[in-house]
Amino acid sequence: MNNSLLTQDKRTKQRNAAEARFKAYGLVAILVALAMLVWLLVSILSAGSPAFRQSFLTFPVLIEESIADKSGTRDPAVLTKVTTLGYAKILAHSLEAEIAAKGVDLGAMKPKEIGQMISEESSATLRDMVMANPGLIGTTIPFTAIASGRIDGYFKGRVTMESAALDKNTSPEQLILADNLRAAGILKSEFNPGFVTMPDASDKRPEAAGLGIAIIGSLMMMMVVLLLSLPIGVAASVYLEEFAPKNRWTDLIEVNIANLAAVPSIVYGILGLSIFINFAGLPQSAPIVGGLVLTLMTLPRIIIPTRAALKAVPPSIRDAALGVGASKLQTVFHHVLPLAMPGILTGMIIGLAQALGETAPLLLIGMVAFVRDFPGGLFDPASALPVQVYTWTTRGDPGFVERASGAIIVLLVVLIVMNAAAIYLRRKFERRW
Amino acid sequence: MKDMNMESRVLIQSNKIEARKVQVYYGTNHAIKDVDVDILDKTVTAFIGPSGCGKSTFLRCLNRMNDTIPSCRVEGLITIEGEDINDPRVDPVQLRAKVGMVFQKPNPFPKSIYDNVAYGPKIHGLTRNKAELDDVVESCLRKAALWNEVKDRLQAPGTGLSGGQQQRLCIARAIATSPEVLLMDEPCSALDPIATAQVEELIDDLRSQFSVVIVTHSMQQAARVSQRTAFFHLGNVVEYGETTQIFTNPKDPRTESYITGRIG
Ligand SMILES: Nc1ncnc2c1ncn2[C@@H]1O[C@H](COP(=O)(O)OP(=O)(O)OP(=O)(O)O)[C@@H](O)[C@H]1O
Ligand SMILES: [Mg+2]
Repeated sequence: MNNSLLTQDKRTKQRNAAEARFKAYGLVAILVALAMLVWLLVSILSAGSPAFRQSFLTFPVLIEESIADKSGTRDPAVLTKVTTLGYAKILAHSLEAEIAAKGVDLGAMKPKEIGQMISEESSATLRDMVMANPGLIGTTIPFTAIASGRIDGYFKGRVTMESAALDKNTSPEQLILADNLRAAGILKSEFNPGFVTMPDASDKRPEAAGLGIAIIGSLMMMMVVLLLSLPIGVAASVYLEEFAPKNRWTDLIEVNIANLAAVPSIVYGILGLSIFINFAGLPQSAPIVGGLVLTLMTLPRIIIPTRAALKAVPPSIRDAALGVGASKLQTVFHHVLPLAMPGILTGMIIGLAQALGETAPLLLIGMVAFVRDFPGGLFDPASALPVQVYTWTTRGDPGFVERASGAIIVLLVVLIVMNAAAIYLRRKFERRW
Repeated sequence: MKDMNMESRVLIQSNKIEARKVQVYYGTNHAIKDVDVDILDKTVTAFIGPSGCGKSTFLRCLNRMNDTIPSCRVEGLITIEGEDINDPRVDPVQLRAKVGMVFQKPNPFPKSIYDNVAYGPKIHGLTRNKAELDDVVESCLRKAALWNEVKDRLQAPGTGLSGGQQQRLCIARAIATSPEVLLMDEPCSALDPIATAQVEELIDDLRSQFSVVIVTHSMQQAARVSQRTAFFHLGNVVEYGETTQIFTNPKDPRTESYITGRIG
């Protein structure tokens, strides 16, 4: 038998080989996960980042009195009779004039097709401007209109000459003109803040659709979830873990909490619909209802990690505090909770992140409705980020695919911010040992 | 003759704690059987006995720390100054302020050294201002023979000290609330001879005001610091009496074999 330390015996070799194999498995698993993550991020970023850029047409607009106010009285009652179609005509005329003034080659395009290149949303914007300030009628103002979804899609590679030839919403001639307008500096691709500030737009106007209301709605709901589930969840966990007697009832509650955490989220939507809307009479589509439903869903998912964090605090710390005559409550608040805080925060953030990404229960309580007006409070209709992603993916216009991916990017950014906050808070609490 | 002496001393030195027919069960495990022990005022009482015989368990009965173990059940009568500590009207929090404890395993709070010692006085409102609190912290750390080692780093975490230093920190923390009875569960098990001597000196000092109960595995220590000794064996108190008598003239053969090193 060779007993030298410089050579390895058979058993040692076997054990080392097993260890090396195990390390290799772990490394492979991590690499696969990383590759998936990179793939996910790349595909979302490449599909979604165009949503943050938009083609705009900048030109002076003459608000023709003959269209905007035939009567010449500036009477609001008369002004409101002019629909967005009238303002679309005004924009089309002004763009045509600008094209002529700049000497841009119209190509084979008929002048009356020019209007199709401007988003209908911009007519509405112009109309709102005039309604707010009738003095603008008859004057020429600088104006930036959103280019139509097809023109925008052309510059993003979504629309080609071949597809335009088959599309009744655009034509190859329009695309050639768009190139010319770009060369003349009338059409520009720019960062589009409207994507995160504007409300959703109708099926025909993907170029104008924004996440403003969805972001506000989601933030409001997260507010409600945080304000309700943090205190309730922590109080319930502390009670169950530190104060409640261990008997059949607490066992039953424990089993139920574990079950509730596993209940599919759509069930909470049904619960919320019957309790908060049908029974309590709260309004549909309101962030308060969404927040309450998500709170119900999040509570068990917060209580479980919070209890685990409390359980992980060594009992000797409790003995030490009780031994110097601290009361149970003092023991918990001075010693146990601070030590459990990092774990509680982690659970809290994971719970919130799940709530933020939750779609199914919100569909049931009407958060899927089309909302154009910014909510003034928790009781006004609003949308939510994941629901917005869902509705956009169900719409026909290909422009919405890019919007949906863009919304996912926003959702991810919100999640990253939340996680960063959690890590920061963890560090802060951990520094106090 | 010896017995008569003992009787007369009992009369002079009043009983601080009296335990009668105490039984402790952990679930079905009968850990303490029929224990009768009197702890005298201003006296050091040592509990000796082999590992697992129930010394810690009995000690924890005296300040109701066993309440925190769900499976643990205590029966029998324990009184402190004539009052039943298991009476439903007794708040264990008040009891524990009166009966302090140093645990077998050092368990400093994961806070600064200063906060560890200051915690008790703070929650009991024993000091009026920061200066007074500083004084209490310093004097307790001095008594626990730790001051010189930590005076420059009072804000460092208590958990960053060595095992023996942590044990002395726990002693300082326990005496900072000025308890009337101090229960010490093997306070010197992790200490070097110098620190042990200092703690023993502290115990001797404390005797002038308080009663001290100390669990120890060191026969020499029991003989050095205590006036009375109880020998525990398999959950029973086999013998209880004057320390000198226990060590020089044990009545029970089991006591004799334990202190001479034949069982345990
Ligand atoms: N928390 C507990 N749950 C269940 N049984 C326990 C518990 N603590 C102690 N026991 C049991 O009670 C008996 C007495 O234990 P105890 O800790 O009092 O012994 P001890 O005399 O302090 O021993 P040592 O000298 O080793 O510290 C042992 O049989 C032990 O198994
Ligand atoms: Mg013990």
